Amino acid sequence: MQRRTLLKTGLGLAALPLLPRLSFADDKKPVGFWYESASPENQDSLKTILIDPFNAAHPEDDLSIDFRGTDLDKQLRIAMLSGSGPDVVFTAGPSYVASMAQAGQLLPLDDYAAKLGWNDRLLPLFTELGKYEGKLYALAKTYETLGLFYNKTLFDKNSWKAPTTIAELEALADEMKAKGLVPFGAGNADWRPANEHHVSIVLNSVAGPENVYKALTGAIPWTDPSIQAAIDKLDEWWQKGYFGPNYFSLTLEQAFAQVATGQAGMAPSGTWSFTNVPTYFPPNNAEPAFVGFPSTSGPPVYALGIGSTLSVNAKSENPDGAAAVLDYIFSDTFYGAMNSAWQGEWNLPLKDLSGAKLSDKVLPLYTETMKNLSTAVGAGQYGYTTWTFLPPATDTYLVSGMEEVWLKKISSKDYLKKFDETFQQEKAAGKVPAVPKRA
Amino acid sequence: MHRLYLVPTLIINFVIVLVPALLTVVLAFCNWDGISTPTFSGLDNFRALLADSVFWSALTNNIIWTGIFLVVPIAMGLLAASMLLIVRRGSNFFQVVYFLPVVIATVITARVWQGMIYSPVTGVFGMLDRMGLPVANPLAQPSTALFGVATVDLWHWWGFLCVIFFAALRQVPQEQIEAARIEGASYGQMMRYVLLPAIRPTIMLMMIMTVIWSFLAFDFVYILTQGGPAFSSEVLSTLAYRHAFYDLNVGQAAAAALVISLFGLVGTFFYVRLQTQEGEQ
Repeated sequence: MQRRTLLKTGLGLAALPLLPRLSFADDKKPVGFWYESASPENQDSLKTILIDPFNAAHPEDDLSIDFRGTDLDKQLRIAMLSGSGPDVVFTAGPSYVASMAQAGQLLPLDDYAAKLGWNDRLLPLFTELGKYEGKLYALAKTYETLGLFYNKTLFDKNSWKAPTTIAELEALADEMKAKGLVPFGAGNADWRPANEHHVSIVLNSVAGPENVYKALTGAIPWTDPSIQAAIDKLDEWWQKGYFGPNYFSLTLEQAFAQVATGQAGMAPSGTWSFTNVPTYFPPNNAEPAFVGFPSTSGPPVYALGIGSTLSVNAKSENPDGAAAVLDYIFSDTFYGAMNSAWQGEWNLPLKDLSGAKLSDKVLPLYTETMKNLSTAVGAGQYGYTTWTFLPPATDTYLVSGMEEVWLKKISSKDYLKKFDETFQQEKAAGKVPAVPKRA
Repeated sequence: MHRLYLVPTLIINFVIVLVPALLTVVLAFCNWDGISTPTFSGLDNFRALLADSVFWSALTNNIIWTGIFLVVPIAMGLLAASMLLIVRRGSNFFQVVYFLPVVIATVITARVWQGMIYSPVTGVFGMLDRMGLPVANPLAQPSTALFGVATVDLWHWWGFLCVIFFAALRQVPQEQIEAARIEGASYGQMMRYVLLPAIRPTIMLMMIMTVIWSFLAFDFVYILTQGGPAFSSEVLSTLAYRHAFYDLNVGQAAAAALVISLFGLVGTFFYVRLQTQEGEQ
C-alpha cells in the first residue's frame, strides 16, 4: 500500500466518529442517554418502545441510548465532573441527585415541569423527592415498595393466613420453624446491601414511619428508643433463626426460589422480585401472593423506594430535547407499553394509572400490587426505604453494621450510636436527600 | 541521542502513574465526595481512618493475608516444582495443568468456587450436607470468611509460582544435582543444600512481590464476600473502594490508598535493593 493511500485511509478512519454529528448537524440535534446494563431483550424494548417512537414523534431530535454496564454511576460521576456526560442523566437514586445538584451539574427542571404539565401528571410526593434546596432536579424513574411474598399453595395446604400483625407474623414463623421450614427466604450472597431491605422493613413496621421521618429530618436521633426497638426486633428474628442457616450463602434469587419450592414460607422482599415469579412459581405448581408487611400500628406501611432517577445535564447542548425525552417517558402510553414488556424497572410515579394499558401477559398480582401502591401513596400511607432517603456513608454503614449486630460483634446500641454519628456528619454536609413532609 | 528512547516511557509514566499518584496524595488531605469541588481538610481523613475500628481489622486482615501467601503458595510451588524437576516424565503436562487457573479470569474462578463448591444449594458443600456430612460455607462465617477467600486465590495463584520456580530450578547446573545424587543426598538434603540456595534470588523476589501484591488484594474479596460478613474479610483495598464509591468519601479512600502504598513502598525498597545486589554480583 502506498504511503498516500495509507494516510488517506487513516484520516478517513479517524473521521468516522464525527460522521453522525456531521450528518445531523443541520436538521437533528443529538440527545444522549446513558443507561446501565440491560439484557438484549430489554435493550430491544428500549429501542422499540422509546428510541424509535420518540425519534418519529420528534423529528428535530435524535435520541440514542448508550448501555454503559453496571459501572454507570462511576462513569457518570467522572464525566459530569469534567463537564461532559449525557444529556439525559440516569442516577442510582436521590442521594446522588443531592450531590450532583449541590455541585451544579444538573439543570433545574421547574420551568419544564410547569410548561409540560409534569406537576399534574406525577404523584406530588415524587416531585418533592426530586428537589434540592427547593428546586426540582430529578424525576423518579421507578419506585418500589417492600412487602411479604408468600407461597399461597403452601399456606392453603397448612390452613395458614397471611399475617396482619407483627404478633401473627411471629406466631406463623414459629410454626413454620417447628415444621422444618425456613420462615424468611432471604439471602445476601450476591448483594450484601440486601440487609437494608430488612432494616427498612422494621424501621417502618416497628418504629413507624412518623419516627423514621423525625429521624431523617433530625428531629430525633437514630438512637431514639423507637428505632432501638426496631433494630432489636430484627436482631431477635435473626437470633430465633427466622432467616435460616444460609442467609450469607444464598443469592437473592436462590432465596426467593426457596419460597416457590416450599423450603421457605415467606420472603420479605421488594416489588422487584416480581421479575422472578414466572421463573420459579409455575414450575413448582405454586401460586404466589404478596401483601404489605404487617406493622405494630395496624395497617401495613408501604416503604417507598426509588430505584433510579432521571435528570437533565446542566451542560447539555440540547436541554429541550432531553426534557422532551423525560416528557415522553412520563406518559400513560409509555408506562403501559414498557411495563407490558419489562416489569419492575419502569414503575413510573404517575398519578393516574387508569389510562395505562398493560398486556394480558402481565401477572395480575403485579398489576394489582402496583395500583394498590399508587393508591396508598396518594393517601399518604407510605414509609421510607433506607437506600432512598439515607445519605451514602450512613447507608453503607447500615448494611455491614447490621451484620455486626446479628453476629454479636457489637450491640444494637453501639450500632445506632455510630449510625447516628455518621448521619449527623452527612446531614451537616448537606448530603441528606429530600424527605417529603408527612401527609 | 539514545536517551530519547526513554521519552515515550517517561510520558506514559508521568500521565498514567505520576499524575494520578500525586492527585491521590493531594486528595488524601481533602474533603471530596467525587462530585463537587474538593476542600482542604488537613489530617482529618487520616484521623478518621485511625479512629475507625474497621480500618484496623482490614489492616490485620491484610497482614494475615500476606502471611498466608508468603508460606502456603510458595511452599506448594517449591514442592511441586522440585517434583517436576526430579520426575521429568509428564512435566510439561503438569506445568499446563498447574498454570491453567492463572489464565482463567478472576471473576470466573470466584464464581465457580462460590457457586459450584461453597454454595449450600448448587455446590459440593451443599451436596455433602445432603449426604449427611455437614460442611459450613466458609464465606458465611466471620471466623473463616478471609480464609475461604484466600483458598480461592491460592488455588488460582500457586501454579504461577510453581512454573516460575520450575524455570529457576532448571537453571541449576545439572552437575551439582548429579553430584548430590551420587553422594546419596536425600530429597530433603538436595532441597536444602543444592536447589534452594541456587534459586534463592528468585524465591526472595517472589516473596517481596507477594508482600506488595498482598496489600493490593481486592478482586477475590470483592467478588466473594464484599468484605463481609460484618467486615470480617475486609481488606484495605475493599475499604478504600467502599469509601470512594459507596460512601462518596474520596478523601478517606485516598488516605487508605496511601497506607496501602506505604507497604508497597517498603516492598519496592527491598526489591530494588535485591536487584542492585544481584547487579553488583
